[in-house]
Formats: sequence, structure tokens, C-alpha cells
Amino acid sequence: MITSRRAFLKTAAFGGASLVIGFDGSRLLYGAEAKPGTQFQPNNWIRIDPDGGVTLTIGKSEMGQGVRTSLAMILAEELEADWSRIKLVQASPSAVFNDLGTGGSDSMRDGWRTLRKAGAAAREMLATAAAIRWKVDRASCAASNSAIVHPATNRRFDYGALVTDAAKLPLPKDPPLKSAAGFKIVGRRMPRIDGRDIVSGKARYGIDARIPGMLHASLERPPWAGAKPKRMQEAKARAVRGVRMIAKTSRGIAVVGDTTWAAIKGRTALAVEWDDPPADAFDSAAHAKQLEAASREQGFVTRKEQPPPGTGAVAKTIEATYSYPFYAHAPVETMNCVADVRADRCTIWVGTQAPNKLQKQVAELLYTTPEKVEVNLTLIGGGFGRRLAVEYALEAAEISRGAKAPVQLLWSRADDMKHGHFQAASVHSLAGGFDAQGAPISWRHTKAGSFHNISPLDPKEVHDAAWYQDWSWGTYDVPYAFPAVQTAYVTVDLPVKHGPWRAVFAPSSVFAREAFIDEMAQVGGADPLAFRLDLLKGADIVKAGTTTIDRRRLRRVLEVVRDKSSWGPPLARGRGRGVACNAYFGHTYIAYVVDVAVDPNGKVRVERVVAAVDCGIVVNPIGVEQQIEGGIIWGISSALGGEITFRGGAAQQNTYADFAVARMRDTPAVEVHILPSDTPEPFGMGEPPVPPIVPAIVNAIFAATGKRIRHLPIRAEDLKVT
Amino acid sequence: MSEIAITVNGAKRVVNVDDDTPLVWILRDTLAMTGTKFGCGVGVCGSCAVLENGTAVRSCQIPASEAKERSFVTIEGLSPDATHPCQRAWLEEDVAQCGFCQPGMIITACGLLRDSPDPTDEAIDAAMSDSVCRCGTYPRMRKAIRRAAAILKEQKS
Repeated sequence: MITSRRAFLKTAAFGGASLVIGFDGSRLLYGAEAKPGTQFQPNNWIRIDPDGGVTLTIGKSEMGQGVRTSLAMILAEELEADWSRIKLVQASPSAVFNDLGTGGSDSMRDGWRTLRKAGAAAREMLATAAAIRWKVDRASCAASNSAIVHPATNRRFDYGALVTDAAKLPLPKDPPLKSAAGFKIVGRRMPRIDGRDIVSGKARYGIDARIPGMLHASLERPPWAGAKPKRMQEAKARAVRGVRMIAKTSRGIAVVGDTTWAAIKGRTALAVEWDDPPADAFDSAAHAKQLEAASREQGFVTRKEQPPPGTGAVAKTIEATYSYPFYAHAPVETMNCVADVRADRCTIWVGTQAPNKLQKQVAELLYTTPEKVEVNLTLIGGGFGRRLAVEYALEAAEISRGAKAPVQLLWSRADDMKHGHFQAASVHSLAGGFDAQGAPISWRHTKAGSFHNISPLDPKEVHDAAWYQDWSWGTYDVPYAFPAVQTAYVTVDLPVKHGPWRAVFAPSSVFAREAFIDEMAQVGGADPLAFRLDLLKGADIVKAGTTTIDRRRLRRVLEVVRDKSSWGPPLARGRGRGVACNAYFGHTYIAYVVDVAVDPNGKVRVERVVAAVDCGIVVNPIGVEQQIEGGIIWGISSALGGEITFRGGAAQQNTYADFAVARMRDTPAVEVHILPSDTPEPFGMGEPPVPPIVPAIVNAIFAATGKRIRHLPIRAEDLKVT
Repeated sequence: MSEIAITVNGAKRVVNVDDDTPLVWILRDTLAMTGTKFGCGVGVCGSCAVLENGTAVRSCQIPASEAKERSFVTIEGLSPDATHPCQRAWLEEDVAQCGFCQPGMIITACGLLRDSPDPTDEAIDAAMSDSVCRCGTYPRMRKAIRRAAAILKEQKS
């Protein structure tokens, strides 16, 4: 039974006061309970105790992607550890763990490269220690189930018995890695290591941190950037029972109380009135117009391929403009953080995707050094890129400093909806050319969008093609074999906070690209799936900027969804079938076939999704399936749910009531086909399932209704039969 | 402020809170039972669901003045060892991703299965669609609810 996470949380945030500072990475590994010299700790990731206990350190944040399970699987595989007895601890930022960020769907790829080596090195040292003890050849020993065995003489040492000897051996530089054929753990359907905690309410998220003497805070933030409070009812707020303090901070007005409810009530009673926004405050409708105009400019050309000699002239061109709105992350666990700022140190309990950045920024805020800021990572109740920003920890630290007590800051649902860093709006202008015979021969895609502004851009960065490509995934890396290709990016200033959201820059670009490919297929009188396969002929490997796309892998996922979905004959009236695909950074390849039903009132229901994925080596098939399913639901939310709009500089939405997200009733039947891959490493699955789902839905809607959706989210009135 | 008595998971608890304190904060802050989650505070997400007489209710919408003398079961009270049919089904179908909404979802499913031991897809959709899972575990939850129904049926026979 794997209980250590519970155990370490217990010793950390949720147990006795004396153990409150329990588990920064290095202390854990050389912890008080460990006797130096008697345990084996070949690297930062593995510790083996004399009793044979194997403790693995997880260096990525768990936010539902199952990373604690899958990273442990990789380590345990190479270490030949007994899965049923491993324990996990979560790394905290430190000099050793100086790069713990979780994002970009790179945990598996990263982990595969580093953790296999770590596991293999430990296994080799243990085997060598056993061989020395037995005076036999290392090659005659084997590792299995947390033991080294010598089959010839039927002898066996548990790992625990070897720790002292193994610790004295030199670390092998290039330990032999297992071959895929020998994998016992990687590739297995492995249930989540923390599954029982989750279903019994024992799993601890940031919001569940409880520190002795902890106060609770709610923060009233300026509704638009630069807003000043006109008046507030301080006396009334102070009169609320349990309110301890009203503090004006650099980020808003905090109400601190004995309980969460006291803080919430106090903030309501405070009734801050803010001054009116200026006439030119940010407005999303005006911004959309600006984006649309910008999409018609030439912009910075991110890719240009001239047609080879002999290519016919363009005889016919079609054009279309696609627009994409703002979205919130809206994780169910709102932003929160516990900070305990003392004279000489600070302790934080938080769910974050960016532990080192958080530590550094809190240290800067408190005029101290990062090692004085201990950051304890909890489970995350939904990340999706939102918890790459760390402002909620800075808010909590500032409030705790003022309150001179540990404080839990909790954002309300409306705080979370209005003060997120949003998925930015963008507008895409596309043109496709055909020759006199009707063959597609040219492609142009210009994206008008905005750079992230949650961290300041480095003004010294060179704004070259690679830089612009990095802001326009899904645009410059069009995988199709058009003789002439031009992609471009136009920057439009965006003053409201915006930053990474699941799949970052790809969803809007892939929506436009894959929907417009369908328009081209229609004009060419071609079946949209066959049209894509035709456009994926030619060179198997194509380079677009730093991205390498293997068209064979993209063709294969398309062929699988074609075959598994019975693609071909049109569906009954009011129903339609659509397809879309994407190669995420050339890493993970996904195709979807979607069936929709559209009723006469224009209401869309996604009925079935057939998915095919090639994500390289599959570490945990359950995790891959879950991410596909979750990515589909995420896409259904953005296709058919709510958007964020701004008036007077402020986001207008408050809760899931006015920012609708997909619910059980919106859920299709989902069929996932994971393709065997000849790629020698695993690729990410958190983000890649998102971009192709929305275009597959709009293409299915076209098949059902003959109406093109070029604007999100989809509104019933656009599809109503009149 | 007043002293109120509520029963949580079979144990009588006396707490001193303001009359308007929502049950979710009595559970989480006063009684330190954090299995019941806060997600919206306005009854639109379902994270804070608890059972009362087998029916799922939203603890963010029940002030102390109304909660008094009533009896509730939270996620912690379903079973001591994650063996309640819904918990078992959730594990067997590998439902959870981030897991944050899942206590509320499991409680809501318990309420559904009490009223409707063999629910149709439509009944499942109707009962579960007032709750939000942002990770998108809905396809697996559907399967888990059917599995829980089967486990319950087996236990009864």
C-alpha cells in the first residue's frame, strides 16, 4: 500500500506543529528519520532504506494528469522495484530541485530521459554490491521485485540488505537501460496511486491545508487595471464577528478573519466601491474588431515556401476569417495559498505548476533569498496552465506579513473568473488556392494575436522567425503538402492578463486551419478525410521551423479514425460527421471523427467521438485515455459553452452559470484507439487532445447543416432553422 | 452567533457559529473535515454535496440556522476504507483525474442511486449535470455509476 504521500502531508501541513517544516527535497532525502550512511540514495529521485523501503521523489506537480503514478512507473521499472511497496514524496524547490515546473506536456518526455537513467544506475549499483558479496560475476545476477537474485545458486538479497554496500560504490555514468521487451510496469494499465485518497476525501489540495493558528483571507481586487477605491465600509466590516484585520495591500484590500466565512462576510460588508473605468478601458468587442483588421495585414512571415517550378498558376482562391474568443481556465479549485511569513523565513503550502518561480518571486517580495522560502506542494484541483502564474502566492505572502500569522487566502469563484490570465482572443485570415484542374496548390494563414503578458517579455530577445513561431503553434506548422505556403503573425496589444491555457496557442490556430481545410475540400468536391490524406502525401518528414512532422504518423491516425468510425456514407438528416487532426509539435499525433446532432432550434449535441492517438511509448494507457477524454470535454466546453467578455476593462462573467462549461449531459460516447508506435520515447498527453476537437465538431456541424462555423463559441441562433 | 448541534457521519457535533455560516464552512473550518470541497459558493458546481437522508444536498446553500438538528453524511462517512459501492466503482473505472470535484460527484451519484437504483442514461445525465468536472471525467463517471448500480444490486440479492 502506498501511503507515504498521506504520511508526508501529515508530517507537513496537516499534522503536528513541530513537524510543520517537513519535506523539502534534500531534507527529505537526508531526513531526520534517516541514518546517514545506512541508506542508499544514489540520486535525487531514489532512496532505499535498510528495511527495503523504496522512496521515489516526484518532481512534477500532480494536477490530474496522473504524473505521480506515471513518473513512479518509469523509476520503478528501471529500478526493478516492487510496485506494491514503493513510497512517494513530492519534491520542493531547492538548490537540488531548481527546475520543477510542470507545463507544455513535457513531464513524460522529460521523465523518460532522466528517471530511467536514475533507476538504472541504482539497480546497477545494487546488483554490483550483491555480486561482490557473493563473489560472482555481475552478469550472472539479475534484479527483480526489489531484490537482486543469483539464479545459478538460487540466492537472493533484498534491496534493503544491500544499501550499505551499494552506497559505497561509484555511480555508473551510463547504466544499461532495459529494452522495451522487458518492461513489466511501463505500458501496464496502472490505477492512480492516490485513487483511494481521492474517493474517500482524504486527498489534500491547497485549499485543504490547515496550519495551527491559521487565519483566513479574502481579497478585493481592483476590477480594472489601475482602479482606485472610492469608498468602503470599514467599520461595518470590522463589526463582522471573526474579522481580525482589514489590510490595504499592493494588490487589493484584504479582509482577514478567524474563518473563511468571516473573511467572506467581512469583504461583503466592506462593500468597496471602485472609481469608474476610463472611456477607453479594455473592451473585448472593440478588441475583436482590431484583431480582425490586423489579420488582414501582412505581419511577420513565419514560414514561406515558394511553389517549385512546374507548379500551375492559381486559378481560383477561397478566403475565410475565423475568430476565437477569450476563455477562462475555471478550475474547480479556485486559486488559494497558505503563507506563513515570519521574521526570518516564510513557509508556503500551495498547488502550483511553477514552484521555483513561486519561491523566487515570494523571496523577492519579502526581500529575502529563495532558500528562506519553503514551498510545500499540494495536489492541484485543476491546473490547465492557470497555476503557472504565481500571483495568488504573492498575495497570500503579503497578507501574512501584515497579519503576522499564517494566512490562507482563498479566491471566490467570481475572483477566479474575473482575475484569471485568460486564453487570448485571436483572428485568423486564411486563403487557399487551386490550379486550373482544381488541385489545392497554395495555403496562407495569418494569425492576429497577442503575446502572453503574465511575465514580462525580455526586451533583449531577438524577434526572429523562431520567436514568432513560438507564439503561433498550429499556424506555421501546417502539416499539409501545399506547393506554396505562407504563414504569418500579427501582434495586437492586449492589456488584460493572458497566459497559458490548456494547449496554449494551438487551439485557435488548429480550429481555423482544420475548419478551413474542410472548406477547401468542399470547394474541391473532395471527401474531407481523403482530402487530408491526399495532402499528407509527398515527403514523409517535413520541417517547419524547429518542428519536425512525420506525416506517416498523421496519416496513420487519420486512417484509424476513418476505419473505426465507418467514415463515408452521410448520416441521417440533422446529423453530421466531421474530422480533424493535428501533430502537436511533431510529438503527439491525434485524429478525431465526431458525430453531432443539430436540432431545429440550433442546439448541437456531440454524440460520439472516435479518437486515434500516437503518442510514442505509452507509459500508462489509462492516463492516455483519460487525457483524450478530458481534452474532448475541454473542447466541447469551448465550442458550445461560454466565453469571457470584457467591458470597462473588467471580465463580465462570475461563475459557471454565466461561463458555461460542459456537463455530463454534453458528454459524447468516446472511443479511444491508442496506436502502437515505433517512436522510442513517450510524448505528452495533457495538451495535444485539445486542439483538433473543436474543428472536428464544426466540420461535423457543416456536414449536418451546411453551415460553416467561423466564430466561437457556437451559438444556437447561428444554426437555427428559420 | 449561536450554538448549534448537527450530526455528521453519525456523530453529534456542537459548534458555535454565526447563523448564516454555510454548512460547507462548518464542515471545513470548524470541524476540519476537508473532504467536502468548496467550488463556487452559489450552488452551481456541486463540489460541496453531502447526503441528508440519502439525498444529495449542497452544503454551501445550507446556513447554520437551517442545518441545526439535521444529520448529514460527508464523503468521509461513506465508508472507513473506500469500499462503498460508489467508491469501489469509481476506483474500478479509474474515474478521477485531479480528483477535486470527485467527492461531490460521488455523493451526488449516491443520491441518484438511492432514488433510482438502476438509472437510465437520461437519469444519470439529469442527476449529474448540475455538477462540474473541469478535467472531463464524465465518460468514466457514467460507467462508474452503472457499475455502482450493479454492485448495489448484487449486494441486495
